[in-house]
Amino acid sequence: MDGGIEQHLAAGQHARAFDLVVPAYQDRVFRLAYSILKDRAAAEDAAQETFVRVWKALPGFDGRAALGTWIYAITRNTCLMELRRRRPTVSFDDPDSDEAYRAAIGIATEPAEDPERDNLLRMVDALPRTQQQAVRLFYLEDRSYEAVAEQLGMPLGTVKNLLHRARKRLMELARPSEVKAA
Amino acid sequence: MNTSMHAGPCADYEHEIVELSEGSLAPEKARAVRLHVAACARCRAWQSAFAELDAGLGQALPRPALSADFAARLESRLASLARSNGRSDLRASVEDEYRLTLETLRRGTRSNAVVGAMTVAGICTAGLLLVRGVAPEAAPLLAAFAGPGRDAALVILGTIVAIGTLAWSVSRGFLPALRLGA
Repeated sequence: MDGGIEQHLAAGQHARAFDLVVPAYQDRVFRLAYSILKDRAAAEDAAQETFVRVWKALPGFDGRAALGTWIYAITRNTCLMELRRRRPTVSFDDPDSDEAYRAAIGIATEPAEDPERDNLLRMVDALPRTQQQAVRLFYLEDRSYEAVAEQLGMPLGTVKNLLHRARKRLMELARPSEVKAA
Repeated sequence: MNTSMHAGPCADYEHEIVELSEGSLAPEKARAVRLHVAACARCRAWQSAFAELDAGLGQALPRPALSADFAARLESRLASLARSNGRSDLRASVEDEYRLTLETLRRGTRSNAVVGAMTVAGICTAGLLLVRGVAPEAAPLLAAFAGPGRDAALVILGTIVAIGTLAWSVSRGFLPALRLGA
């Protein structure tokens, strides 16, 4: 899929390359932003901002990293900037600080319609930040470990481990007596 | 092998049950895990709970989509940025041209000042020599320079005039001042 893009980039045709980048990546960039920001409008704004940054920086893209890896890194940075803008007191020295992250993403959630679903969503919200992102992205990406690993910039094994711990924790929360391994 | 319904799966099978559910186990391994699960109530309960959670997450987690006008809005934003960059480029180009013109004028003025100073010095010297050669008795000024020091005095006078002219040029900014020391 990136073949045409890379050919244009190699030929210095950045505008043509960008024209292919947007349709190829817009959905995944948006889903990644949504998994971090948990808000559709904010995720769409972050996706727009990401592509503006990509547009500006594409002439300087040196190809040392894969194009997707580069674009997802820009997306994650854009989202972290958005979180920082919302709550300037959040410390990014400790990006895995759950309290800081929960404070940062204290934004509107969708109205409750189905109590069971709502309870499950609340349990997901209670997971540590990286587990939440992995879970959201995994199901948004049709249960693809590879897609989650690429978008979050993590090794595949780390993603599998994260997801296993997250789902085990959710099962513990849902059925405390049945889940602990023997 | 466990028989209790109120504990987790056998530790050795925890990950394998997940992989079995996801269809990522090798056929031989999958058959072995299935045999174990069929005979182990705890693992069976855990497998069932995992499948329920997996399905629940798949249905509960929001799957937002990009707005239909996402690409159009991005295009409009980039066009606006490009126009803005174009205006900046035009302004920078005009400023460059202005600077170049000033520099050219300044360089011309410097040349004119040097030529002017040399011309003044030359005219003064030639004038004095002319007065001395053609009508020495008509120049009362020369009487003051009578004797062997007259030629030297004329040269000194010419040099003073030339240096004065150069100093005036420097003070007016037509020539760069000499920088002595650091």
